[in-house]
Amino acid sequence: MISSSAGYAAREVPAPTRDRGAAERIWVRLRDDRSGMIGLVVVGLFLAVAAAVWLGLAGQGWSAADGGRWEPAGPQHWFGTNVLGQDVFQRAIYSVRTAFEIGLAVALLSTALGAALGALAGWYSHGWVDGTVLWLMGVLDSIPFFLFVAAVAYAMQGQPWAMHLAMIATFWTTTGRLVRAEVMKLKTREFVLAARSIGLPAPLILARHVLPNTVHILLVQSTIAFVAAIKTEVILSFLGLGVQDGVSWGLMLAESTQEVLAGHFNNFLAASVMLFALLMGFNLLADALQDAFDPRQGTP
Amino acid sequence: MSYTLRKALQGLLLILGVTFISFLLMVWFGPDQTYTLIGKNATPAQIQEVRQTLGYDRHFLARYADYLVELLTLDLGASTSSGEPVSGMLARTVPVTLALMLPGFVLGNLLGVTLGMAAARRRGQWSDRLISGLSVTGMSISFLIIIIAFQVLLCTPYGLDLFPVRGWQVTDLPSYLRYVAVPSFALIFVTLGYNTRFYRAVFVEESARDHIRTAHAFGASPAVVMWKHVLKNSMVPIITRIMFSIPLVIISGSLLIESYFGIPGVGKITFEAITNGDQPVLKAVVGLTAAAFVLIQLAADLLYRAVDPRVA
Amino acid sequence: MSTPVLSVQELSVTLRLGRQMLTVVDGVSFDLRAGEVLALVGESGCGKTKTAEALLGLVPPGLGSVRAKRIDLGGKDLAVLGEPAMRRIRGREISMVFQEPLTALDPVFRAGQQLASVLRRHLRCGRTEARAASLDMLRRVGIADPERVLDSYPHELSGGMRQRVIIATAMACRPRVLIADEPTTALDVTTQAQVLAQLTALTRESGTAILLITHDLGLVAQYSDRALVMRRGRIVEDTLVGELFRKPGHPYTAELLATAVGLARPPAGRDAAGPTP
Repeated sequence: MISSSAGYAAREVPAPTRDRGAAERIWVRLRDDRSGMIGLVVVGLFLAVAAAVWLGLAGQGWSAADGGRWEPAGPQHWFGTNVLGQDVFQRAIYSVRTAFEIGLAVALLSTALGAALGALAGWYSHGWVDGTVLWLMGVLDSIPFFLFVAAVAYAMQGQPWAMHLAMIATFWTTTGRLVRAEVMKLKTREFVLAARSIGLPAPLILARHVLPNTVHILLVQSTIAFVAAIKTEVILSFLGLGVQDGVSWGLMLAESTQEVLAGHFNNFLAASVMLFALLMGFNLLADALQDAFDPRQGTP
Repeated sequence: MSYTLRKALQGLLLILGVTFISFLLMVWFGPDQTYTLIGKNATPAQIQEVRQTLGYDRHFLARYADYLVELLTLDLGASTSSGEPVSGMLARTVPVTLALMLPGFVLGNLLGVTLGMAAARRRGQWSDRLISGLSVTGMSISFLIIIIAFQVLLCTPYGLDLFPVRGWQVTDLPSYLRYVAVPSFALIFVTLGYNTRFYRAVFVEESARDHIRTAHAFGASPAVVMWKHVLKNSMVPIITRIMFSIPLVIISGSLLIESYFGIPGVGKITFEAITNGDQPVLKAVVGLTAAAFVLIQLAADLLYRAVDPRVA
Repeated sequence: MSTPVLSVQELSVTLRLGRQMLTVVDGVSFDLRAGEVLALVGESGCGKTKTAEALLGLVPPGLGSVRAKRIDLGGKDLAVLGEPAMRRIRGREISMVFQEPLTALDPVFRAGQQLASVLRRHLRCGRTEARAASLDMLRRVGIADPERVLDSYPHELSGGMRQRVIIATAMACRPRVLIADEPTTALDVTTQAQVLAQLTALTRESGTAILLITHDLGLVAQYSDRALVMRRGRIVEDTLVGELFRKPGHPYTAELLATAVGLARPPAGRDAAGPTP
């Protein structure tokens, strides 16, 4: 049955003229969402740029210090240069790759971890497994994030993956809670009871029947995690705990903090605009996904 | 009675978990401080002595127990970089952080509730879309960008040059307002988008409930419906949100703002402790935040009871 | 032939669902006479509730549009009345009782507060007056200990009790019309009978006309004077109740009667997508 949008819970709504499959309906809603499609296109463009950098087709001159200090934008260096004479534009382009590396790694792994632990907790809810997972989530949520990252960095003696690990280890909790709640609801549904009654083992039921029904949560959460990862990297790089080798928008912004007081805005503007564009694209996409899966909540 | 007991137990387990993980990461896996203290050219006897003082020769659990005892008795030691007693540092910096972050935090939430309600009431209309659009835009701008931009625009000759660039020379109310202004604006700007979206969603969901329809059916005006019925019923998620965003906003936010604007609060000393490897300070801050988190949970539970008669 | 207290002429409600516009109420016309009980019968999804909501102007403009030639309530045309005027009518001249008593009351306010606020709003009386009037109303709906109920929160009251509070609120200003949308469907059979008996007694006393929306033909037979049969947004039958059961005019009505097992509820199949939201 179609449920109503704004205002009151509708009671009687005539059946739709043609009953499309759920997946098709979701796709149509997504496709019709203009801002969502813009977001998708923007993300796609950035992805293409990142791929180009990976393949060595762009942004390769990010570390070459071949310009003068703080040159303004010109034909040689499209966005000018920074204090070391490096091409700001090249650095900004290379940072797209850095952003995607961090974003994808954290988004995929934290969502996967959240799905796994959340499903376990939800399936064995109110037992010791659930209790342990909830306790773990509580503890991780209580530790101030930057302290945690610093601590992980200590423990790993300054390895470059400390930042990724710290993010994955803390970002999974949101997904975990959502999946847990959903699994607890799905547990009582008929298809699960049917699977259990024919003796299927729990891991199989979870993997084959339950988790696929949480895909909408996982998809939305991974886009949110991507955004959070990139934003976090920016701040970590500023604090010196982030990207250690290579360049990222966070490092560019960190560089720019001193420069802007002296009137040099190239670094700042290049990094800010690119960062904003990518984040905006992802946020619009995340919203569109959320609305496509559950049209009741968004703006019609 | 058993409810309070259960909550206390959960809080205890939480604190144990937090302190254990931080102990594990910082102290157990952390850098060996022996050589920092006595340099490279030390005799084996001296090394042995220092290691004993630092407790490196003791068992893992014993060291963890020591750590807990230190926290409980507030024997927080002294900073390894400045030598100042940590408890003194906290006493000095906590009030500054609170004075710095609270106005922005409170205003950010008040504005968020107001805008969220305005958007929910006019759901689907252009004003709703505008508010939602602005919120998404606000969410897509990094905190660092906002801080840098505001500093340039408000504190330097390249902009309005109205406020001090950094520092915290607060002696009276006017000077307080001058130093707290830009950080507060930045904090409000960065949290407003998230807050508005969240509150709007809560209010929209609450507006769809049956008893709201009843209120309309008996002739209540939209204002009464929103401010009396929807708001009061939304208090549980609002309280949850505010309480549980306190650690995130005030603690993590203060780290960034204070290091950037050079304000001597808890965030700044934490940041310095991270860079300098100052373990006593870090241990104390972790313990403090864990305790704060438990207190926040208790406060939230009490507030729930005050606001919703269904909570036992 | 007395003039009807409510006269609905060509009421239509169109809902916007995604990109489609669906006409859920199509040119409905009927009269409601003073003091009578008019049943509005039909399957779930035929537009009964939307008709009622449209009469009170409760269809949000974002959701759909309401059009009518005229909705006459004692000389006033509700179809053209502005919002502030409509608010004065809701709960005062036309009241509505909904189907879900368990969720109809605001859970964070006491039952008495909600009842009293309606009284104070429409009758402009003070706090003590409102409390006294509330206690009186609760007694009239058959609540033996009105003091306790007045100071209770909804979750402390049973479903039947909550529905009585709603009915008390609806009748407090002695409205001309009471719209009861499946008022007892969510209650057990015993409570159902009690609540309906109370309702009909109260309305007879105050001369209120009832528009009883239901899919239960048993209730129609037992409590109503006339009946409207609705199908896919249109009225297909408008007769006295006796005629309805003896000589149904429209083939659809005959179908409805045939599928009702005796005078009990229609079987679950037809109501599969039933009243639950």
